[in-house]
Amino acid sequence: MEDWKKEKQPMPRQDPRDRARNFNEVALGYAEEQALREAQRCVQCKNRPCVAGCPVEIDIPGFIALVKEGDFLGAAALVKEKNALPAVCGRVCPQEDQCEKVCILGKKFEPVAIGRLERFVADYEAAHTESRAAELPPTTGKRVAVVGSGPAGLTVAADLARLGHPVTMFEAFHKPGGVLVYGIPEFRLPKAIVQRDVAYVLGLGVELRLDRVVGRTVTVDELFAQGYHAVFIAVGAGLPVFMNIPGENLNGVYSANEFLTRSNLMKAYLFPEYDTPIIRGRLVAVVGGGNVAMDAARTALRLGADHVYNVYRRSREEMPAREEEVENAIEEGIDIRFLTNPVRILGNEKGWVRAIECIEMRLGEPDQSGRRRPVPIEGSEHMIEVDVAIMAIGNGANPLLPSTTPGLETNKWGNIIADEETGKTSREGVYAGGDIVRGAATVILAMGDARKSARAIHAYVMGERE
Amino acid sequence: MKLTIDGKTVSAREGETILDCALRHDISIPHLCTHSALPPFGACRLCLVEIEGMRGYPTSCTTPAEDGMVVRTDTEALGGLRRNILSLIMLEHPSACLVCAKRELCDQYRPEAEKAGRTTGCHTCNNKEICDVRVMAEEFGLSELPVPPIYHERPVERSNPFIDRDLNLCILCGRCVRICRHHQEMTAIDFIGRGSKTRIGEAFGRSPYEAGCQFCGACVDVCPTGSLCDRYAKWRGRPERRTATTCLFCNAACALELQSSGGELIGAKAVDETTPICVLGRFAIPEFLYGAGRLRVPVVRADGSLRETQWKEAIEAAAEKLRPYVGSGFALVCDTTSTLQDRYIFRKFAREVMRSENFVEIEPDARGASRVELPPGTKAALLTGDFVDAGQLEPLELLIVQDCYPTPASEHADIVLPVALFPEVDGTLMDVSGRERPLRKACEPPGQARPEWWIVAEIAKAMGAEGFAYDSVATISREVGKSTAELLTERDEAPPAATDVKRRRAYFRGHRIDEKVPGLRELPLDDAPASARRVGVEAESAGGFRIVQKREVAPNIHEIVIEAPGIAKKAQPGQFVIVMVDETSERAPYTLSDWDAEEGTITLVVLEVGHSSRKLTVLREGDRVAHLAGPLGIPAEVDRLGTVVVAGGCYGIGAIIPIARAMREAGNRVIGIVEARSHYLHYFGQKLEAICDELIQTAIDGSMPTKGHAADVIGEKLRAGEKVDRVVVIGCPFMMMLVARETQPFRVKTLAALNSIMLDGTGMCGACRVSVGGKTKFACVDGPFFDAHLIDWDELFTRRRAYAAHEVRAVGRTESVALHACEAHGAGAAR
Repeated sequence: MEDWKKEKQPMPRQDPRDRARNFNEVALGYAEEQALREAQRCVQCKNRPCVAGCPVEIDIPGFIALVKEGDFLGAAALVKEKNALPAVCGRVCPQEDQCEKVCILGKKFEPVAIGRLERFVADYEAAHTESRAAELPPTTGKRVAVVGSGPAGLTVAADLARLGHPVTMFEAFHKPGGVLVYGIPEFRLPKAIVQRDVAYVLGLGVELRLDRVVGRTVTVDELFAQGYHAVFIAVGAGLPVFMNIPGENLNGVYSANEFLTRSNLMKAYLFPEYDTPIIRGRLVAVVGGGNVAMDAARTALRLGADHVYNVYRRSREEMPAREEEVENAIEEGIDIRFLTNPVRILGNEKGWVRAIECIEMRLGEPDQSGRRRPVPIEGSEHMIEVDVAIMAIGNGANPLLPSTTPGLETNKWGNIIADEETGKTSREGVYAGGDIVRGAATVILAMGDARKSARAIHAYVMGERE
Repeated sequence: MKLTIDGKTVSAREGETILDCALRHDISIPHLCTHSALPPFGACRLCLVEIEGMRGYPTSCTTPAEDGMVVRTDTEALGGLRRNILSLIMLEHPSACLVCAKRELCDQYRPEAEKAGRTTGCHTCNNKEICDVRVMAEEFGLSELPVPPIYHERPVERSNPFIDRDLNLCILCGRCVRICRHHQEMTAIDFIGRGSKTRIGEAFGRSPYEAGCQFCGACVDVCPTGSLCDRYAKWRGRPERRTATTCLFCNAACALELQSSGGELIGAKAVDETTPICVLGRFAIPEFLYGAGRLRVPVVRADGSLRETQWKEAIEAAAEKLRPYVGSGFALVCDTTSTLQDRYIFRKFAREVMRSENFVEIEPDARGASRVELPPGTKAALLTGDFVDAGQLEPLELLIVQDCYPTPASEHADIVLPVALFPEVDGTLMDVSGRERPLRKACEPPGQARPEWWIVAEIAKAMGAEGFAYDSVATISREVGKSTAELLTERDEAPPAATDVKRRRAYFRGHRIDEKVPGLRELPLDDAPASARRVGVEAESAGGFRIVQKREVAPNIHEIVIEAPGIAKKAQPGQFVIVMVDETSERAPYTLSDWDAEEGTITLVVLEVGHSSRKLTVLREGDRVAHLAGPLGIPAEVDRLGTVVVAGGCYGIGAIIPIARAMREAGNRVIGIVEARSHYLHYFGQKLEAICDELIQTAIDGSMPTKGHAADVIGEKLRAGEKVDRVVVIGCPFMMMLVARETQPFRVKTLAALNSIMLDGTGMCGACRVSVGGKTKFACVDGPFFDAHLIDWDELFTRRRAYAAHEVRAVGRTESVALHACEAHGAGAAR
């Protein structure tokens, strides 16, 4: 094999020294020539393991073959058959754990850059076509309520709309997109792209109702009473987890959800043009090792911090964040302190955070997750001076909807119990997917759940046997 | 001429009043209407004195000192008279906080005033920290008002781009009217109306500009109360530092007193109070310093984009890039708004280091514009502002810009260096008459911005030049020669722009000043009309929630009825909604005060307390709020308990109504206890009367039959042995905490509705977390009601103050409210 085929076409990016101070997208996307070259790397193997590796079963070799022929629009159309949000997934999917992980080329060389190609065709289509009304089958009259307009909600809504069901999507916030707008920052996923994908879904005839907090404004029971035949719950993992260490309620301590929501959804970085304020720390510490922690740390940097620490209790190998994002963060100057865990947060006399006391950790025996359990090293306590601390150690299930829906069973963490293959819950006609079922996971897994649920809901409302 | 004041023999000057003479000799006589810049007036009558051989009590401010006079300023009779006079003034000046029994505790827990609409007491007054009247009331030991006070219900006037006017505080001392007449030789403002209806204002309802206001701000500076204030500085409290320096927006060299706190400039006024200064010196400086985009960090172009760097690298890069142009094709362009020392260094650098004759020093034109053509053959240029047309910059091989804001030149430059501006540096300048005037550093430059001389001297040193080892402006001055700079404190006439706002400068270093100072856009410039246009409510989109009814039920407290059928259907007592007025708004929570499922409406009682609530309260019937979500929170627990006290303060008076009603319907005996600072802040009396078995309305200033706080009334009842089975309280945290303190010893379960800062309102972010019984709870989903005896109140107070500094910035933007998209009437509507 020629040498150039052994490695992925590199992704053009903003230089870390530039991007650390702006909110523009970090990765700039392939140019046409790069996409054509990358597409040539795919060997079009018979077994197509990548398709099985994709939670939404995109015909990956198929669309790559079209890219190779230069039929970018055809490729985009093929992707969209399975994935309503290709521009989003091309950017935020952990392809290295999914399609690319099983790519046959990856056994010897680098796998095909499937995610980058997906992004390319989606962006190409957006730049080169006018959006037009999709052709839809005649309506079935079977109304479906989708609760939440994040990745799972949008996917279910799109799939069901394409099957002819009238779908209404209920969103608690003032903007659609869920975690795509409140959680993932602009520099990783431009909001214009989310809007474009949302517009596509709405173009399929999906009705969007903003400012509706299901469980409060309207309950699931009331939705059925209003004539909905089925309800899909995809409200996400909207309950910030704190460490329950002293000092967490000091001013200047944020949950990652709050910090990111202020910056992303409420545009606090544009204060006072936008009314929502945010504390711009000079020295910031972000606790946690996931993608959310990376997003928070990199956002703090872009808000003007002089120095941003990332405090993580295990080592780099155990870090749940995508490799690419960790690399990006380090390149931008995020100071990652591995094997370090906060024990308390200290404040000044005015109630503002001034430091976090941390303890060093070592890795012990593997725990249930298979990762080696971090164990504190006695006497290794030390202070990190900060004026903002952000807790990004995970999200639990928000109890608001389950607690107002009688008969909806949840597990001990409050996650809705749903069938893995169909998303069917303990309530007749109620399906659920995404983070409210899984706990905090990824965009694409939520979309995968949604795809399966859409099939099940279709069968259910059409009176077919499951 | 000698006279005796309080037993002390003092000498008086010819024509001097007794008051001036006494003050000059450090004998204090209380006074309000007198002002050093103004002729005597004799309106407030606080300065009265006893003079032997003279009948009655003459005012010392209008009585000339005479030889042999024997004056007493501090007798018992005078004390009584002054107390009475002040009490009378207080009757028309919101004074409840002055006579409040819990004043000290309040100051401890609520040090900052609420940024409210109208002032209804010290706690809602921008002048709280610097108030003459407040100090005097304390000195006189004023603790009670003889009769209930009068509140004039006047709207806060916000139609002036820089000045807020709240006549509810005005004591009609006339200082503003008199200084206006003195400064502008006409009166933009005057006493309007007669008798008890007298107020200060523009005649015939004209706008300030139409009435002849030149925005010199002198009226604000002389106002002894918070009636007139500089909107930008309004809530920033007493400045920590005052520095006398010279204005550099033009070369009139007005001496300014610059006020700063924490290194940040907050305001300015004339040093010489007898001569006006122009709108730029008085109002434009802080906003010009802190406009969006101010350059803060040195940047150097690399791979096509400008990249942040450290000074060391930037200086080295500049030196490196400049070296090839030594002796060939270099030009340095500045204008005379750089200090003499800066320009000395510029010249020295150009001549000695770059060996270039092309040192271009522009004298700005009458509007402040400085445009120039680059000398022919220029290949490398250092510009200190926006002076050169973009077309001239294109062919340059090297462009270094040192400036305060981005310009086409800085976008195009190879290196951009952030400079400190005149309030941030020391130095001297040359005024229009050729005299040197001093600049004194009054505040810190933002980010890494540095004085201009420093930057150029560093570049020179990096290029290996000798003779640039300056460590301060003083070292440069020594080299230049003796400085004769003195502040221009006495002048014959005001600079032209001070008496004709149209003649102000438009540019500073090539930057449009009004780009950074939006209030200026509302004022004409030369013959050009004002550029700001009132932004009407945009063509109504189908979205949003319509306001069907709105009225101000008490000063700053608005009852707003909004169409929201979905929420109305589901609402329960104690729940709240999240409101976003428009797409840029905060998500702000408001408790539901009522709802009508059939009409499909909900009712909010909104207290104007800051930027977000103001945006909501300036809307009118028929307007729409963009987003409304709810009902949120766990409804109040309603049971048959026996006797239930529902207590409310400010917006809580409206918010407790649904709970009172539900408690009554559940078979309880309901005692309503509602508190307000004064009688005129009570509302919904009849409504509550109809719901409660017993209703007690208290006023902190004693202007209602029951005096004191709701907590006092509850405490008395409990101490008297009255059986109370439950207390539910809604109001500010201070009020709720006081209630909790009273009920705790009697172990009466008390539920408080917590109003911590929220963001989403659905439990998603944790912004609203509170500690209750040692556990962290989210007020939005676990609350809003919590056991008041278990709440960590101190933490709640602290957390609620997290964005206090942001709030000051948000409410201090200096456009007039009339220009806002949600079109306003500049005030709360009539009740």
